[in-house]
Amino acid sequence: MEGVNQDSQDNDPYRQKVRMLAGREIPFDGEGFFWDPHQWSEEAAEVLAKEGGLTELSETQWMILRFLREYYFQNGRAPLNRQIKQGTGISLMEMEALFPGGIKYGARRLAGLPNPKTCS
Amino acid sequence: MATSEKIIYLDNAATAFPKPPEVLEEMIEVYSTLGVSPGRGSYDLSMEAEERVMNIRRQVCQFFGGSDPERVIFSYNATDALNTLIQGLIQPGCHVVSSRLEHNSVLRPLHHFSEQGIIQLDLVPFSPDGFIDPMNVVEAIRPDTSFVILTHASNVLGTVQPVEQVGAICRERHVPFILDVTQTAGILSIRMGEWGVSAVAFTGHKSLLGPTGIGGLILSPELDVKATRFGGTGRDSRSLIQTQTYPYRLEAGTINIAGVFGLSAGLHYISRQGMEKISARELDLARRLCDELNSIKGVRVYASNRHDPCVPIILCNVEGMDPEDLSTILDGDFGIATRAGLHCAPLVHQDLGTSPQGGVRFSLGPFNTAEEIDRVLEAMAEISRIR
Repeated sequence: MEGVNQDSQDNDPYRQKVRMLAGREIPFDGEGFFWDPHQWSEEAAEVLAKEGGLTELSETQWMILRFLREYYFQNGRAPLNRQIKQGTGISLMEMEALFPGGIKYGARRLAGLPNPKTCS
Repeated sequence: MATSEKIIYLDNAATAFPKPPEVLEEMIEVYSTLGVSPGRGSYDLSMEAEERVMNIRRQVCQFFGGSDPERVIFSYNATDALNTLIQGLIQPGCHVVSSRLEHNSVLRPLHHFSEQGIIQLDLVPFSPDGFIDPMNVVEAIRPDTSFVILTHASNVLGTVQPVEQVGAICRERHVPFILDVTQTAGILSIRMGEWGVSAVAFTGHKSLLGPTGIGGLILSPELDVKATRFGGTGRDSRSLIQTQTYPYRLEAGTINIAGVFGLSAGLHYISRQGMEKISARELDLARRLCDELNSIKGVRVYASNRHDPCVPIILCNVEGMDPEDLSTILDGDFGIATRAGLHCAPLVHQDLGTSPQGGVRFSLGPFNTAEEIDRVLEAMAEISRIR
């Protein structure tokens, strides 16, 4: 059917791509999310942050990334929106502004959480 | 406390929420007394249940302007109904006309058969303001066209399509016209007989205010749909051949009787409240939301002319912000539930230029208030300032 698959496969979130990052080969999806959250490291997050335009991650940014990861591994899923606010003590608008790329492509991606892929 | 107790719910195009308590009460009451297999047994209760279901077929038939209650077929939702229709109508080598405005409930079955080389498919385009041109349907119809299938209103943009004109075109050319009324049933009056519609496919859980798990088809007397699922119908059990009479031909297995009672309760509710009254209120609020969103710097509203025929659906984006982040902020910081992404209508977003991220959809229902719209506008103004 004409036009159904016009979007570039390079950005396909269901397609795995491997790249060298912080000295290791790490699989990512087409939107740059870690394929496996266990492959994440602080060094990898720092490299991704630099690529996104941050010279270094602030204490607040690290606190958010750590909260997201701890919650994910304790509960087997990413925190709900209200749980992010409760857990970090900052609003989602503030989080959006803190990360180039915002909440999904910034915070969540740097934290190594899986791509949410909701209705995309 | 459940999240739902405090949110402003603007995802009614996905499913209406909350449901009117009267609908749930009526559904439970009827199911409690008549929740047996309808017409399958010779005991009185089974016969009474069957009689009740037949009365509901009459109620549904009348609601959509159909002519034969026995041609009201219950399904699980609109996707199920559309699959029953599409698979029951196609023949190898046939040609089908549809549009780029469709939901995946139409696109995916058609794409499946097109990819397999079973059908040939033409999708008519839509204008930047969200409407198909009936003349494009005229041009797409060929001598071997089996049917035209269109959505009544876009689930992304809310624009109501010129289906009466398309119906006239199809009738003149003796091509069956299938109408997907998922987003309009319960908001707009649907007159399938008058419009030249051969079949409508609907779902019960959106603006008909019933539960999930119930939908259906209404067929015109001229349309024959072959069975693509087979099984027990409670009729002619000696035969290994599927029952050929409607509605049983297309209803293999026990129907969702609780859902049927809930659908009927939703229709009763709409009738009591007045469909025009409900939809006028929703459309007034949607028009105001659209107009005022348009005036917020950094907010882009798509197909925003609310003087065109539409249902209360609005698609927008905030410049420089991923739509999923916008929806996340609306929910987490302001308690406003919206739908971000592609809305299962990928071609609409491709043509709008919003693919692959999509947009944020606000869809209103009967319980939204002017105060809620005020809060949404305040939230959007505040969010747009951070970008």
